[in-house]
Amino acid sequence: MSKPALAPLDKLDPPAEWAAWAPAKGQWDARWAAHLYRRAAFGAARAELKDAVAAGLDATVDKLFAAPKETPARPRLITTPPPVNPMTGMPDSTNHAAVLQAAWLQRMIDGVEPLREKLALFWHNHFATSIKKVNDAGLMEVQGDLLFRHALGSFRQMLRDVSRDPAMLVWLDSNQNVRSHPNENYAREVMELFTLGVGNYTERDVREAARAFTGWHQNSGRFTFVRGEHDGGPKTFLGQTGDWDGDDVLRVLLEQPGCAKFLARKLYQFFVNENLPAPDTFLAPVADAFRKSDYDIAVPVRMILRSTHFYSAYAYRQKVKWPVEYAVGMVRMIGVGVTGRITVNPYSLLGVLELMGQQLYAPPNVKGWEAGKAWLNTATVLARHNFAHSLVNGMGDLNSHAKKYNLQTFFPAVNPLAFVLREGITEPGKIVDLYADLLLPGDFRPEVRSKLVAHIGDASPDTEAFAQRCRDALFVLLTLPEYQLN
Amino acid sequence: MLSRRDFLKRSSLIATAPLIPGFIERTAQAAEPGKDTILVVLEMTGGNDGLNTVIPYRDDEYHKLRPTLHFQANQVVKVNDELGMHPALQGFGQLLQQSKLAIIQGVGYPNPDRSHFESMDRWQCGEVTAKVSGTGWLAKSVPDLAKGKGGGVPVMHVGSEKLPLACRGTTQGVFTINQEQPFELKLGLPGSEEEKARKKLLADVAAVGPDEKGDDLLPFVQRRHLQTYTSVEKLKEILKDQVRDQARYGYQPSSLFVKMDLVARLISQGFGTRVFYVALDGFDTHSGQAQTQQNLLQQIDQAVTNLFTRLQSTGDDQRTLFMTFSEFGRRAAENGSKGTDHGSGSCMFVAGPGVKPGPVGRHPSLTDLTDGDLKYHTDFRRVYATLLDGWLKVDSKMVLGDKFEKLDFLKKT
Repeated sequence: MSKPALAPLDKLDPPAEWAAWAPAKGQWDARWAAHLYRRAAFGAARAELKDAVAAGLDATVDKLFAAPKETPARPRLITTPPPVNPMTGMPDSTNHAAVLQAAWLQRMIDGVEPLREKLALFWHNHFATSIKKVNDAGLMEVQGDLLFRHALGSFRQMLRDVSRDPAMLVWLDSNQNVRSHPNENYAREVMELFTLGVGNYTERDVREAARAFTGWHQNSGRFTFVRGEHDGGPKTFLGQTGDWDGDDVLRVLLEQPGCAKFLARKLYQFFVNENLPAPDTFLAPVADAFRKSDYDIAVPVRMILRSTHFYSAYAYRQKVKWPVEYAVGMVRMIGVGVTGRITVNPYSLLGVLELMGQQLYAPPNVKGWEAGKAWLNTATVLARHNFAHSLVNGMGDLNSHAKKYNLQTFFPAVNPLAFVLREGITEPGKIVDLYADLLLPGDFRPEVRSKLVAHIGDASPDTEAFAQRCRDALFVLLTLPEYQLN
Repeated sequence: MLSRRDFLKRSSLIATAPLIPGFIERTAQAAEPGKDTILVVLEMTGGNDGLNTVIPYRDDEYHKLRPTLHFQANQVVKVNDELGMHPALQGFGQLLQQSKLAIIQGVGYPNPDRSHFESMDRWQCGEVTAKVSGTGWLAKSVPDLAKGKGGGVPVMHVGSEKLPLACRGTTQGVFTINQEQPFELKLGLPGSEEEKARKKLLADVAAVGPDEKGDDLLPFVQRRHLQTYTSVEKLKEILKDQVRDQARYGYQPSSLFVKMDLVARLISQGFGTRVFYVALDGFDTHSGQAQTQQNLLQQIDQAVTNLFTRLQSTGDDQRTLFMTFSEFGRRAAENGSKGTDHGSGSCMFVAGPGVKPGPVGRHPSLTDLTDGDLKYHTDFRRVYATLLDGWLKVDSKMVLGDKFEKLDFLKKT
């Protein structure tokens, strides 16, 4: 069924859209709770969904924000430099990278601070840095901790720390930024991609900012200010003149009204809708609140997640699931063993995520992942289907990508039928509904339902054939077009 | 809106069709494959000796520089009164006679680097600075390539070496196909009853899927799914045919011939891919060059001849161009081991009915050398720009970061 097209965003009334939603009795249901958990977390496990519906919208959002705003750094996983690959004689961080990726996936699966993890992913994509160039997982881990620590905290502080972050300094060639030959890489990206967006500064601003950042280097994985390489002369940057250094550039950038607008737009694309162009006027309430709060990230995020707009057709299923959202969400919902606990080893996800097009700590370039429709092409659709099939059937994904990371890369302990077994449900219609309520609450088309029910058929429930047909139905649920959307 | 009549029509098709092929009827409109222009890129890995590929056979200087590795006028494949091609390139000679081969001479870039890796990185990224961005020129083309009608995988790398840098830097629309990584839905033991039942269920459910027309996300996803199922089936058929033919003609599965043959089959089956990338290694001929280069160029000659013969039978040759490149040429003078060392400045071939045939630019002088190397006069990015704007309809400025003067090797369309 094709739906009527949504009116453009500039036809909407911004204050009404961004006002907090007050659901009438019965409006807050599993459909909206699942929507919130898909966007603000990595999908709701069965118990979480039930709790969220019972607790109501306000309490559920409060719970997502309940964690401390700034947390101390986590214990380090990578404490040595990358090992030398005997084949090439060069440092090779592939194995270290896998450790980091698996650890992050495990945190997403555990869902202890899901909103903060989700924002850490947002900031990872915003300050996109790749281990493929940095080639030191220790530095990538430090950057990841930094982004997690500030994920719901102060953007001002995060920007300050990122500008001194050793992985970032390697990534954007800061050691080449010297007084005699300023390298513009960081100066350009801090404006184009981190704070203002193209068109809000001139090439001259880039050159002047590069001068201000001269001497901001890293040495053996630590930030160091090399006074002799710093150009201390006066610079004129975005209309202001002074003997600026990098911190002055950051201060001036945050003074620009365009900065909050730029970030509000990126948050909108991440949390709400990535297809409709959002005009400044429409985003103004979010951007204004962000700026007034002196860049407290929790302010716009909470405003978005509480808004009337967020619980509307403008947001609902209007994003393509990122590969990590697809994989982690599925693991959280059905990657369980007989006891109902999640049993999937995060290492077993690394190969399939690469095939789906997303390797954590390795975005394709400084712009981050392209996301949206670009996630889906014939190769990645195939990878999603094959992953769903492997997971549901507890089979290996034994392609070369998976083998590269882990020989034991299969999901033998997974028994997604555990829910059915535990509840003693044997009727095909009820089995299908149970999984649809978990995976696609409110979006299960009757014509699909009847196909799945017919497929399970009337075999005796205690036979392997019956269990297999239930798994088939579950597999197909996970491949539905609706399920690819967040 | 899907009408009830359409729905019934589809359902009955699905019910009577054996398995997945029921999709193909639906995706005929969804994918619209088979009409976009295509480029096949061959990387000649190791630094091909351009001077013994396109040969100034009348130039005495050539014979002096290459006392043991030279070819005489009666050996070369004639291009004109001054130039000939390596004797292994008989098929290229025929392409030239059929007005399907352009020979671009004196190609290189400023301040050439003689390291394989440094130089290859520049060619692969379409950049000439010492530190390349790490994003390949084909990867940078993906956004425009994907606007084509096929919509599947805009760039495909055929081979088991790691993904070439030219294709890296985008997570979208680049795919590798090789023996270890077949493009298939893995739904259980192939041919088993369970696999069949799962496929049928998938087909049944897709047949009652959301309408695939429209710009909203849901129709888009449905369209991609149908395209995927169709591609998988197509590829299965193609590979089945290919394996049968391989057995018949005795080619190694890893040979260039088989890879390029697969490319030809993918193109003529309307797979929807816009750029195919294939590599052939072994051109680093520091010693005993004659035999090695003969063997490698012969492989290319046969593979390209087969590519165009196959494409011609379906008319798809008209929308296909083939190009070669190598990270550098080699020293003008041969070394003491009947080989040649790393040099710069070389030639490129572009083949297909879409080219203006013959040499483009003059052969670099053999007396006016830089450090013993041929002087380039044509920046390789001009070749890329010509192919991007003129053939693939990709904005070359987006890819190369700058505008480059076009070369005159394409027919006016």
